[in-house]
This record gives sequence, structure tokens and C-alpha cells, in this order.
Amino acid sequence: MPTLNLPLTETPSLLGGFDENLLEQSRKGEHALLQAKRTAAFESYSQIPNPDRFHEEYRRMDPALFQIAKFSPMQIPEAAATYKALAEDTNYDVVISVSSEGIAVEDCNGVLTDGNLVVMPLDQAAREHSTLLEQSLGAGMVPGEQRKFLDLNGAFWNVGFFIYAKKGVDLKGGILIRYHNDQADTVLLPRLVVVAESLTRFAIAEQFTSPDNVKTLCISGRELLLDAAADVKLVSLQDWGNEGLHIGEDWARVKRDAKVNLFSMTVGGKVSKMTVGCDVCEPNANAYLGGMFFADRDQHFDQKTLQFHSSADTYSNMLYKGAVKDNGYSVYQGIIRALKNCVGVDSYQTNNNLVLDPTARADSLPGLIIDADELACSHGATFGNIDQEQLYYLRSRGIPEGEARRMLVMGFFDEVIDRIPFENMQDHLHAVIERKFGV
Amino acid sequence: MSYLQIKNLHARTGDIEILKGVNLEINKGEVHALMGPNGSGKSTLSSVIMGHPDYEVTEGDILLNGESILEMDPDERALAGLFLCFQYPVAIPGVSISNFMKKAVDARHPEGKAPAGPFLKEMRENMEYLDMDKAFANRGLNEGFSGGEKKRMEILQMMMFKPSIAIMDETDSGLDIDALQVVAKGVNKMRGPDLGLLVITHYERILTYINPQFLHILMEGKIVMSGGPELVKTLEEKGYDWVREQIAVTA
Ligand SMILES: Nc1ncnc2c1ncn2[C@@H]1O[C@H](COP(=O)(O)OP(=O)(O)O)[C@@H](O)[C@H]1O
Ligand SMILES: [Mg+2]
Repeated sequence: MPTLNLPLTETPSLLGGFDENLLEQSRKGEHALLQAKRTAAFESYSQIPNPDRFHEEYRRMDPALFQIAKFSPMQIPEAAATYKALAEDTNYDVVISVSSEGIAVEDCNGVLTDGNLVVMPLDQAAREHSTLLEQSLGAGMVPGEQRKFLDLNGAFWNVGFFIYAKKGVDLKGGILIRYHNDQADTVLLPRLVVVAESLTRFAIAEQFTSPDNVKTLCISGRELLLDAAADVKLVSLQDWGNEGLHIGEDWARVKRDAKVNLFSMTVGGKVSKMTVGCDVCEPNANAYLGGMFFADRDQHFDQKTLQFHSSADTYSNMLYKGAVKDNGYSVYQGIIRALKNCVGVDSYQTNNNLVLDPTARADSLPGLIIDADELACSHGATFGNIDQEQLYYLRSRGIPEGEARRMLVMGFFDEVIDRIPFENMQDHLHAVIERKFGV
Repeated sequence: MSYLQIKNLHARTGDIEILKGVNLEINKGEVHALMGPNGSGKSTLSSVIMGHPDYEVTEGDILLNGESILEMDPDERALAGLFLCFQYPVAIPGVSISNFMKKAVDARHPEGKAPAGPFLKEMRENMEYLDMDKAFANRGLNEGFSGGEKKRMEILQMMMFKPSIAIMDETDSGLDIDALQVVAKGVNKMRGPDLGLLVITHYERILTYINPQFLHILMEGKIVMSGGPELVKTLEEKGYDWVREQIAVTA
């Protein structure tokens, strides 16, 4: 079976301080279930060859940029932090904040009281939902893939949450998890496990921030398991300060009639590598992968998607829109893969890039690996500055040049942003674009 | 003095000279038709009037209300009262019609922002008049529109922006009878003492719905013949070959 990973040239080794000692520290005092999961992930992590810049996936983003050996784990106090409300929190039913002060979980609208929706740290879930967690932690991965950083996260995560919606849960607001790291030279390793039973509908947002000029690393791992006819949206906003480094892996398994929306928005940080994959594994399963990125001032963003069709009659649609300026550099790589005998697959992959000045660069490498014979697939990429005919059209209607350019850049991104289920996130992204675009 | 004066206009793109001395005057309250074979320069003339950056004026002038507009940007020309119904309007996905219309109407408002209530009301009424579905307002501008929908969208803008001079570049081509009638309905509603209209076409078809007072014939970058409504009939009967013969005789 073809996989995302072509052979890596380097032999396996442990990365930086992510070794047996740290594993023992992480396991100390933990529930046996979590200990076993960590050990299994460690085994896998230590056997996967090291990613290097001679490997196709890392050719445009040298893993050495992440300087993994320089970072030690971020310290998150055991004691619960007091919840501090922000104005934007009114958009959500549940707000979790993770920072140097600890973890605060706020059930703003009492949606957790009847027990149909569960939002809790992984260690609590290990005690209260051990069977389910046993089945789901580490199970989101597309079969056959080898992801060193995801397994690193699996062995060493230092904060983790379990979101579990029982059959029929329909959440209006949504769940926000806010991560803020202000500890210099530390690495945050967040894990998220989402289990959606049949006929559930909810949305989750994760947001990452840090102060400017504070060197931080984040290695995130998320998995989403959707049962029949579930409808789950996940928005990930990488909004780190100017010295933030980020590696993120999102994996979703989508069953019959279910639909997942995976949004990845990268605007902050210095170097970021996001991988988003889905396995639409039963008939009528549907995945939408939406991405936006805007790299300016030497930012280097890399995004990778995998649309894996392991069943007949499955759908996936991917739209990633990026802009680069002022020495910004973005990379998009995507793969659509359909297994043999999967008839009736519809799969689309589009990456559009706005290259706003000649100092900036955008690379795009869409790809297909198809074993099936009967399917509709398309993939394409575009590059260019603002379209002159569109600009002329708006100006011929009396709209001044600056405003017309602003509208075109916003409109470019709005094809994705308009689909994000949180209005405050949309507003925030608009403000970021406005600032970066500089009008 | 006419409101729009085009004087000995020469224009080119790259090395190709397309307009070779066009003279034309249009006053408010008048309806002019401009006809000519394909490739004679009709769209180029409208682009040059609107200020498309691809074309360079090498000689002559365009005056609006007595003042040259050659140094003005397209948005300044629009605010001065010019409007062009494009032959091929571009699609702008992601920019909704309502957002676009609001920005364009705001640009015309003395305070830079038109009150939302009256704006929405006027837009709704005009859309109804043009048989456009209300849901249209949320769609991306011209995104996935049929030919007829695009042309209605152009007429809707003309009704909202209230220009003093409007140029319609082959608004009729590619339309079925229903769409053509709707377009004509919009144009006839706009007609009046405050609007000068230049209707560009290469069939006579639209002229049965919009009766022009003047007809001009453009060939190879020059207006070779002008006349009244009777010229429409003659042209219909005798065709452009007759025009070519006539020019040969006078030359
Ligand atoms: N941007 C351009 N670049 C090159 N040639 C052009 C351009 N615009 C117009 N032309 C040429 O000028 C001539 C007139 O074109 P146009 O104004 O579109 O004619 P019409 O609208 O009367 O059919 C044609 O020969 C056309 O190919
Ligand atoms: Mg034309």
C-alpha cells in the first residue's frame, strides 16, 4: 500500500531530550492506560527514521529549523487555574485555557452537566472513560503512515484533553481551547482526542499564542473519530508570537454519512509545519479541509494534506489559500489517495496562492495516488499577484485602488474564512490579514 | 457643448494602433447607438473611455463636462459620472454582491458611507424590477453566473450608481429574448434628461427595444458614418458592405 512517507534516509534516533528518561518522567504517577499508550508511542517514535531535508516531505522545510534539542517541556502547574473570561468567550459553550498558571475549564452554558458531552483532561478520562479512551487514543491515524512527530507527541504530551459527545448531542456554541506559552525555550505538547458518536454535531477551536520575542516550540497531535452521521468541525489557529515554532498533526477518521471540517489557519510564528489528514472510510463519508496561511516578514509555513479514500462512495474537498509577502515563504503539498475497488469517489484539491511581492515565495505540490479506476478527482494550484482585471473592474465602479485591493485580498481568503463556524475567529483573521496586508 | 466629447481619439495597446481618430459627442438625454463589425474597435473605445490601463491614448482627447479625463484613474472617472456595462464582466469569487454594491455606493456618498437601510431597500427594489432572486446578493460577484445573470448584474449597477453617461458594450449579445427584454426594461427606466447613453451592438436586435436617436458606424478604428434612426433600417437591409461602398465613393 502506498504511503505518504517515502523512505527516510537517516537511521532512527531519539530527537533532542525526548528519550527514555523523559518518558519515565512523563509516565510517573499516571494511570496504567496512559502509561501503556505512552510506551507504545515511544516504541514507534524511536523506530521511525529521523526526518531530514533529503526527504521529499522536508525538502522545503528542514526539520533542523525546529532546533528540538534546545527546548525542554513547558511547565503547566497541576493545580487548576482560575478562569479569566475574555470578551470573545461568549461565542463558546465551553472554554479551556492552558497557560503557565495551569488549566482552567469553564462550562459557560452548563452543557456538561447532564453528562452527554464530556470535556476533560486525559488523565481524568483515563479513570472515567477508560474503555473508550483505550480504543481511541492513538487510533485516528491513517493506516500505514509513519509520523515521527505525532508519535513523539503520543509519548511525551504534557497536556491533553478528551472530548466525547454521546449520540445526538447538538452543541450550538462550541468548545474553545486556548493555549498560551510564555516560558522561553520550552515546548508545549498538547494532545486532543475527539470521539463523536452518531448524529452528533459540534465545533471545536484551538488557538495558540505566545508573547513576541519568546522562543517556544509546540508539537501538537489531534485525532478525531466520527461515527455515523456525526458532523464535527475543528478550527486550529496558529497565532504564535514572532519566535514561535509549530509542528501540528491532525488526523480524522470519518464513518458512514459523517462529515468532518478541518480548518487550519496559520498566521503567526516563525516556522510552522501542519499536516492534516482524513480517512473517509465508509460510504457517504465526507471531509472538507480548509486552510489559510499568510507568511510575511521571513515567516516560513509548510502545510501538508492527505485525503485518503479507503471506501467506495466517499467525498473529500480541500481548499487551501495562502498569501506571501516580505520574504515570506509558504509550501503546500497534498496527496489524494484512493484504494483499489473504491468506486464513486469524489475528491478535489485546490491550492491558490497570492504572491504579493517578488521577495516572497510560494511552492505548491499537489499530487494523486490512485489505485481505483472509477473516480472523479481534480487537483490544481494557482499563483499570482492581485488580478489586474478584477482590480480594474472594482475601480471602474468607483472603488478607490486601496479599498479595491483590500476587498480582493479579503475575498480571496473569505472563500475559506466564511466557512469557519466561529464569528470571532473570522473577525480575528480579517484583522490579521488587514495588518499583514498593510492598507 | 456636449457632455461627453471624444475628439480625434487615437489609442493603442502595445504596438497595435486600434483607434485611429474617433470623433463622437453625446449629451445627457440622448441615446446613441454604435455599431460596427467584430474587431472594429468598439470594446477598445469603451475601455479607453473608462481608463483601462492596457490602452494608451496617443492623440486626441476625451472631455467630460468640458474637462479632460485622460489623466484620471478609472475610479475617478466612475465618480465623475461615467459607467461601463462590460461585454465580459469578470467574476470575483469571495466578494459578495452585497458587499461590493455597498462599497461602490459608499464611494459615491458625500460622507463616504451610505446609510444601510435606504441602500438595501433600493437594491431590493431594483433587483425585483430586473427579476433577480434576492438570494443573489449573497453570492460571489459574477461567480458561476449565466450570461443573462451577468448582464442583469451590470444593469443593476447602472441603476444603483446613476451615471450621467453610460456605455453599454454589447449588453445584448448572447442573451435570449427574456433576458434581452429585462435588459431593455432596465435601460428604458433609466432613460431621461439626466442620462446620456451609448449602446454598442453588432446586431440591430436590441435597437428594436431601445430606440436610439443617433447611429454611428465604427470601422477599423474610425467612425465612418453617422445618422438618425433611418440609418438603422438601411444598415439592416444593406449590411456593412454597403457602408464600405459608400466610404469608397466619398474617399
Ligand atoms: N488588449 C489587446 N491586445 C491586443 N489586441 C487587442 C487588444 N484589445 C483589442 N485588440 C485588438 O483590437 C481590435 C479591436 O478589438 P475590439 O475593440 O475588441 O473590437 P470590437 O469590440 O469592435 O469587436 C481587434 O483586432 C483586437 O484583436
Ligand atoms: Mg467588443
